[in-house]
Amino acid sequence: MTSIPLTSPQGAPSDTSSAADGRIGENALRPDGTLKVTGEFAYASDLWMDEMVWGTTVRSPHPHARIVSIDIGPALATPGVYAVLTAEDVPGANAVGLEHEDQPVLAETVVRYKGEPVAIVAADHPEIARQAAKKVVVEYDVLEAVTDARAALDPASVQLRPSGNVVRHLKVRKGEELPTAAVVVSLDFEVGMQDQAFLGPESGLAVPAEDGGVDLYVATQWLHVDQRQVCSALGLPPEKVRLSLSGVGGAFGGREDLSMHVHACLLAMHTNKPVKMVYNREESFYGHVHRHPATMSYEFGAEPDGMLVYGRAEILFDGGAYASSTGAVVGNGGTLGLGPYRFPNVHIDCYGVYTNNPPCGAMRGFGCVQAAFAHEALMDALAERVGVSPAAIRKLNGVREGDVNITGQVIDSAAPCEELVQILLDMPLPAERSGADLLSLPGGVANSTHGEGVVRGVGYALTYKNVGFSEGFDDYSTARVRLQVIGGEAVASVHTAAAEVGQGLITVEQQICRTELGVGRVVVHPKNTQVGSGGSTSASRQTYVTGGAVKAACEAVRARVLAAAAQVCGHTADDLALDGGKVVARSGEVVLDLAELLGDAELFADEGVEETVEWRHRPTEAVDPETGQGNAHVQYAFSAHRAVVDVDVDLGLVKVVALDTAQDVGKAINPDAVLGQIQGGSTQGMGLALMEEIVVKDGHIMNPSFTDYLIPTILDTPPMLIKILEYADPHAPYGVRGVGEPPTISSGPAVAAAIRQATGKALRRVPIRPEHITGT
Amino acid sequence: MKAFSYSRPDSVRDAVAGVAADREAKFLAGGTNLVDLMRLGVERPDALIDVRHLLGHDIEPTADGGLLVGSGVANSDLAVDPRVRQAYPVLSQALLSGASGQLRNAATVGGNLLQRTRCVYFQDVTKPCNKRQPGSGCPAREGSHRDLGILGTSEACIATHPSDMAVALAAVDATVHLTGPGGERTVRLEQLYRLPGDDPSRDTTLEHAELITAVQLPPPSALYRSSRYRKVRDRASFAFAVGSIAAAMVIDDGLVREVRIAFGAVAPRPWRAHTAEDALRGQPADAADFAAAIAAELELAEPLRDNAFKVDLTRRMGAAVLTELAEAQQQGSGR
Repeated sequence: MTSIPLTSPQGAPSDTSSAADGRIGENALRPDGTLKVTGEFAYASDLWMDEMVWGTTVRSPHPHARIVSIDIGPALATPGVYAVLTAEDVPGANAVGLEHEDQPVLAETVVRYKGEPVAIVAADHPEIARQAAKKVVVEYDVLEAVTDARAALDPASVQLRPSGNVVRHLKVRKGEELPTAAVVVSLDFEVGMQDQAFLGPESGLAVPAEDGGVDLYVATQWLHVDQRQVCSALGLPPEKVRLSLSGVGGAFGGREDLSMHVHACLLAMHTNKPVKMVYNREESFYGHVHRHPATMSYEFGAEPDGMLVYGRAEILFDGGAYASSTGAVVGNGGTLGLGPYRFPNVHIDCYGVYTNNPPCGAMRGFGCVQAAFAHEALMDALAERVGVSPAAIRKLNGVREGDVNITGQVIDSAAPCEELVQILLDMPLPAERSGADLLSLPGGVANSTHGEGVVRGVGYALTYKNVGFSEGFDDYSTARVRLQVIGGEAVASVHTAAAEVGQGLITVEQQICRTELGVGRVVVHPKNTQVGSGGSTSASRQTYVTGGAVKAACEAVRARVLAAAAQVCGHTADDLALDGGKVVARSGEVVLDLAELLGDAELFADEGVEETVEWRHRPTEAVDPETGQGNAHVQYAFSAHRAVVDVDVDLGLVKVVALDTAQDVGKAINPDAVLGQIQGGSTQGMGLALMEEIVVKDGHIMNPSFTDYLIPTILDTPPMLIKILEYADPHAPYGVRGVGEPPTISSGPAVAAAIRQATGKALRRVPIRPEHITGT
Repeated sequence: MKAFSYSRPDSVRDAVAGVAADREAKFLAGGTNLVDLMRLGVERPDALIDVRHLLGHDIEPTADGGLLVGSGVANSDLAVDPRVRQAYPVLSQALLSGASGQLRNAATVGGNLLQRTRCVYFQDVTKPCNKRQPGSGCPAREGSHRDLGILGTSEACIATHPSDMAVALAAVDATVHLTGPGGERTVRLEQLYRLPGDDPSRDTTLEHAELITAVQLPPPSALYRSSRYRKVRDRASFAFAVGSIAAAMVIDDGLVREVRIAFGAVAPRPWRAHTAEDALRGQPADAADFAAAIAAELELAEPLRDNAFKVDLTRRMGAAVLTELAEAQQQGSGR
């Protein structure tokens, strides 16, 4: 590791050593928890180095324009300015991207969305950098913008790419081409653009290195995919571009793409000074991708008793100006877009298109969130048509273990749809409204209503989500685990590049090491690219995949330790285990002290025992582009929600009274952390149902602030009854099943269903605002 | 942010003189709105004259039994004052429904009255806006106007005033004390604001360098004691109003003896509903009449594509709050 004089406030993210107990299945304390609650945790925006300068970004004011000229002279002449760089200054490939390298580091000839970076400035003070950025004179020739995804599909519209406007079109075909059914329900649905709304803005610090390379400290979700793109843009080999994870203040998918990474590195290498960049809130809204807005047309056919016969869907995702992960979102929308139900016949067309809107990409729930609003509304419509309850229609049609799903894949572990719904039915309903407490009423403390016109509704939703990367992606993680004596005590250290973004992965890594190696203290090495890739902290995959890698590395370390112990003590290695800092026999007899064994210079070097393992889950397959058939996914995670709402039908206000849920997590490695994920995910899904939307008009974001982009407050958030099922997936380490995304998918549709039940309104768009309920 | 000078004078006189001497200078109090707008480049003062320490921080009784509220009083302090809660509940309720606890602690009474509109075009310096840049146009009419005005708007501007407190003050007939280069004067709260007409750039009737020193509340009465504030917003706390109502009403022998109604979030200023008040005064206190009276006021509304819902919202909310006030009095409890 390069040693550099990096200074941070007290409590850097690497300072995470205090708690020393908690194996898997226990509520181990988060090593970062206390620091975050007391405000001592250092986030990326707290990075600081003496002599550092500040970078800022010049962005396009137009959704679509040709760059005629850029004059950096006036900006460069500003006292305090060190550098002003444009596309000409990008030494490597001026093209980055997660799936397609289609996005320039700095726009060259054309800008394709409002907010696209055009130039970057470094100055000795952030305000001077901003002032200088305003003096960069860019002459634009404004071009016609494509801001409607439907229009973008039309071949007659402006084509934004040589390959056309379609990023991906996935067809899923199963069974008969034109099936008929006794009962047919259909609807159109629309989902607005949701933001990840993480609190820590994009930020990082790039430090030029003596070897001609650069060290980048940054808040991100996937260090190695960042490294690949930064290397490509800088024209440097990986050993000269070293990334370290800084404190991440939330991610939710919005940090999977690059933001300031290459910009800070370019400025650092150009000025030979450390360069810090921190976006402000408005810039952050333009500086990361969002959840794809979607328009959807669905039709389900069923037998008179409600048994599904066919599902048809057309799903259109607006991908915005650059591809980001639109292709994979289309993959999920297509392969999972009918929900966890048994469909003999399927016809789905799922599209992702380029427009001149803000780019869209990964966000928690990834393609399933949008579709869930449509398929769950249809299931309710079907239930009503055939005269059964919303719960009954889901229990009747939910997939079961051993079923073949709509892409021809066998669901080969637990699929407890029926049970999840029954659990919700068995949970107590909240008490009827008392009316006395304003907080219990729609509008809450705003004194909006005293109960006149308030009606209650109950809604259900059942959804599922793939865990891990799908469609043949080589999805793996790397873990380096070491066992050694420190201060007379056997201590494990674990080094992965898997990003801790607040979800609790470092706690899980510690719990696995304690479980497998029988030690108390586990040091989590700072996350960086000095170890192999951990893959992305997304797709609910890290506990599964990095957890699997840590477990495998621990097993390799343990095997070596026990083999050595066997030499010393006369037991066979198979008869030995590690527990409580001791080597113990299966009989329970303590055979050796682990620290003493490790301290034996004849057996082990000073640095103890270290193993590095690259671990993969079962491979998946690409799906057939014409039929969507194939073993696309490695694991499915199921969840169900029941929402109870009080709706003021006069004023259009909604109070979510209860948001209860059941979810199969395979194995709760840290039950408190699982509850936290479910509470947070449920709230984020509810936010999309009720209030969260980036309003985009003609390619411009109209509400780029947390005053105008509303996320639920604690007063909007109801009590939640949460039931966790633990049906082990035999293919996954410890039987785990991804936890983070499912609640975000099923909560929103349950809230929407409850409002529909209360009001009798169709409500075919989310977020549902007061004017949609009052219908005027 | 544009560079600016900062000063903290020792007297109101010096502060006023400082601003008067510089067309581009502004007073700074709580800063909760001004500083945000400076960061966005919407407000571009070249000098900030800090007056927070100079403004009155007390709520004092007046000779006629009313209250004189120093303009430096924090929103949170005004909201919880026992005299305010008892005699003017509408004001306390309005304050507590606004912003967040932290903002209410920082924001002053004077600054609250002078908040600028939340119109997205006003806040985005890359867009035309007649209020920010006279003559540049108003994209809101065709664009994003869901949160904008239906009453008192003009071709040039459809902005709304964002304050909750001001709506309550309009309903309790508050007056505003001003001091400026030309001396002191007093205006009724309604007169503090002007409608946009052809010149939306000025929100208020204040002259340059005029400073709000206090807000005066009239003597307590049965009318103001029987008052309510209601607000509709998109989440349960920390959000601007989609619509709001401040109302006070006294019923005597089944007839509306006196009534005050003000609408929030529908107009460039707190909208005193004089037409509705006139229609109700002396008439039987009947729920259907309440709705009709509010509807009569809303006859003047000029809603647009995406904010037409505010007409029904305001009518329903207004009828509901008047009904509630009537019922409370018929039950003999002022609650």
